[in-house]
Amino acid sequence: MSEQTTRSHKAEKVLERMGQKLNRQMVGSLLACVHCGLCTETCHYVLANPGDPTYAPAYKGDLIRKLFKRHFDWTGRVFPWWVKAGSVWTDEELEELKDTVFGKCTNCRRCSLNCPMGVDLATFNRMARGLLVSVGIMPEGVAVVSKDQWEIGNQMGVLKEDYLETLEWMAEELQDELDDPEVDIPIDQTDCEVVYYINPREVKYDPRSISDAAKIFHVAGESWTMPSEGWDMTNFGLFSGDDALGGSVAQRLYEKVSELRGKRLVISECGHGFRSTRCEGPNWARYDVPFVMESSIFTMLRYIKEGRIKVDKTRNSRPVTYHDSCNMGRSCGMFEEPRELLELVCSDFREMHPNRAENYCCTGGGGAMSMSEYTPRRLKSGIIKANQLKETGAEIVVTSCHNCVDGLTDVIRHYELGIEVTQLVNLVANALVIEPKVAIPVEEVVEEMVAEALPLAGRTILVADDEPDQLEYLATVFEDNGATVLRAVDGDEALAMATSEKPDLLTLDLEMPGKNVGEVFQILRENPELESLKVCVITGRPELRKLIYDRSVRRPEGYLDKPVTEEQLLINVRKILELAHDEAAAGAEGTP
Amino acid sequence: MSELLHFSEHTLQEVALGFMALVYTIRIIWFLGFKAGGDRQAETGPPSTTPAKGVLYSWANIAMPWAMESTRRQYILYAQFVVFHIGVTAAIALSFIIPYGPGLLENQASVLILQIIIGGAFLVGVVRFVRRVGNRYMRAISSPDDYFSLVLLTVWFFFAFLAVPNQTSGGEWHLLGFFIMTAFFLVYVPFSKISHYLYYPFTRYYLGKTMGHRGVYPVGRA
Ligand code: SF4
Ligand code: SF4
Repeated sequence: MSEQTTRSHKAEKVLERMGQKLNRQMVGSLLACVHCGLCTETCHYVLANPGDPTYAPAYKGDLIRKLFKRHFDWTGRVFPWWVKAGSVWTDEELEELKDTVFGKCTNCRRCSLNCPMGVDLATFNRMARGLLVSVGIMPEGVAVVSKDQWEIGNQMGVLKEDYLETLEWMAEELQDELDDPEVDIPIDQTDCEVVYYINPREVKYDPRSISDAAKIFHVAGESWTMPSEGWDMTNFGLFSGDDALGGSVAQRLYEKVSELRGKRLVISECGHGFRSTRCEGPNWARYDVPFVMESSIFTMLRYIKEGRIKVDKTRNSRPVTYHDSCNMGRSCGMFEEPRELLELVCSDFREMHPNRAENYCCTGGGGAMSMSEYTPRRLKSGIIKANQLKETGAEIVVTSCHNCVDGLTDVIRHYELGIEVTQLVNLVANALVIEPKVAIPVEEVVEEMVAEALPLAGRTILVADDEPDQLEYLATVFEDNGATVLRAVDGDEALAMATSEKPDLLTLDLEMPGKNVGEVFQILRENPELESLKVCVITGRPELRKLIYDRSVRRPEGYLDKPVTEEQLLINVRKILELAHDEAAAGAEGTP
Repeated sequence: MSELLHFSEHTLQEVALGFMALVYTIRIIWFLGFKAGGDRQAETGPPSTTPAKGVLYSWANIAMPWAMESTRRQYILYAQFVVFHIGVTAAIALSFIIPYGPGLLENQASVLILQIIIGGAFLVGVVRFVRRVGNRYMRAISSPDDYFSLVLLTVWFFFAFLAVPNQTSGGEWHLLGFFIMTAFFLVYVPFSKISHYLYYPFTRYYLGKTMGHRGVYPVGRA
């Protein structure tokens, strides 16, 4: 662009802060690229978009490198044109940079390991993200999630009461399953061997992974606890490039474990959570961690090796493959332990190719799942992963990362692969050999089977969604599980039906024609006759959450991001309705 | 030998070399002025991966085309890289042999070997230029410096090829061309991408140290 004389305030700040962020490793990577192009075909975006050079790692890197050259390297200062050095002047140019660093790279580090010069694009791409975030330029989803993690303490905005209720609910489920009222999910116990940290996604979408982990700890006879505060081991600072957020979140975890005098911080299966907590956190927080930190994969493997739990691999007999999370694998070297564990708990494990350090990203890395504006691009790049998955012939793909679970689920649905996604904790729990204590009476078993078969029987659910496919999908899942379903396709209809029919639950899309959904929600909440109405937001636009959450009325009981699987939907809806039922029962007992 | 050729082979080279050394020294001091990022995390990965092993693996990576998917799959590009860089080494050696050890070139076998190496590098230079111009991805990432450096090296190989026999019977123009270009290179290189070899040990050192510490290097493959 032509030379300008005034630079926008944000552009000024970005350049100023770039100088503060540069370290020797980063400068080396910025200097060393020889534009050989060897990395081009290592990136899944390039492979999925043949002919478009704007996805090439070196091209993307050059958008950051040019700033470095122009402002920090003499060759670029003296002969900018000659070495493709350039500056940034306007906010629009920063927006363009945002589109690349957030929307065209998942920081998967595959190109970094394939560069003969050792150029680590993922590292300086993260730096560029951080610079943009520091001046408020970022995808809406990144802003929302970062805000939640700063303000609420976890990246999905799960409130403390929801978290504790979920743990309680899972403990009850486990007591029922094991027929043992002693089984518990201990909270804030001091001096335990294990303090277990989870991903908020487990609370919202996958509480079964919490009860599965609890089951394993219980059977292993572990002294363990979960913290009541600062329990989220994920860290959006890794994705947003915001080291201050990264450090603050990590420190919160470390201090809680120290406060509880825990001996070992065990991190549930999450790639970026593991990397942030175990690897990057001490650097961001400048904190020398005094206890051991390990992934739950190590913990489970140790239990088996020490004979503390017994497993029967024939219980997981369907063909299984393993997807290496980029953060677990390429950035933390965890390749063999998950495989060792899989060989112990599954009878048909098949390798995916390429694998380990050469595996392709699930497409959801780098926080991509929270950036809905780039979803079409992400799904297009998913063809590489889809082909990899298909070639394994597996029916189940296992991954040790919640982000990958979502990324893979999306790819599998988009490319209609019909493969199930699960985690090691689920397979280990399923393979656990537990000696039955007492025989259960036949009537109880039958009752349980009926309840299991139609868990929503007797419930009325109003589904409000303007997308016909989505409406039908949700309605069918609820009907198949015994609920009576009402349908609304716009805000006015949702309001009218909720008021007249008084359903047990309303699932609410945030973007519908007719009356503004935020207003609909507020009117419903302010209606005393609808006090018992439960609301679950189901949206593909997380950035619209403020329509609901910024209101001074009771928050929705549930929140789900689209796309949502049948299992996630059922678990969440059951949780909302069963907790409501428990509350009602407790209220009735307390009534004089 | 003309005075001009003598000047080009000696004084010009020495001044250019001195200039290059000075600029490189300043460059390294500038680079080391950036703080090195630390790593407080405890090691991850199997015991076969340590920072020291990671560094060694990282440095040796360039000689292990099987180690990276990029060089494994694009083995022709890797072979070109090898020929090109051996050619560079040979041409640099030639710039010292002619003024300081011309006797080595009296052996016809040495001349032939050097010409084969440098001629091969010249051909690779041409192929690389065609790729840089003809491949859409390469065009998108190339700067004027990339094109210029490649053309310059390729033309330098051409003169080096002619200069190998160290014969002046047909005139001195090819030797003059070789030495003047060599001097130009020595002055130009610190400002261009050709100085990548200066950073190579550092970038690979830091990447290797981090990846070794984190259990990734040496890479294990199924
Ligand atoms: S492989 Fe490395 S040196 Fe070559 S273009 Fe890519 S980043 Fe640059
Ligand atoms: S880090 Fe991954 S997504 Fe980003 S350019 Fe490299 S290979 Fe592509």
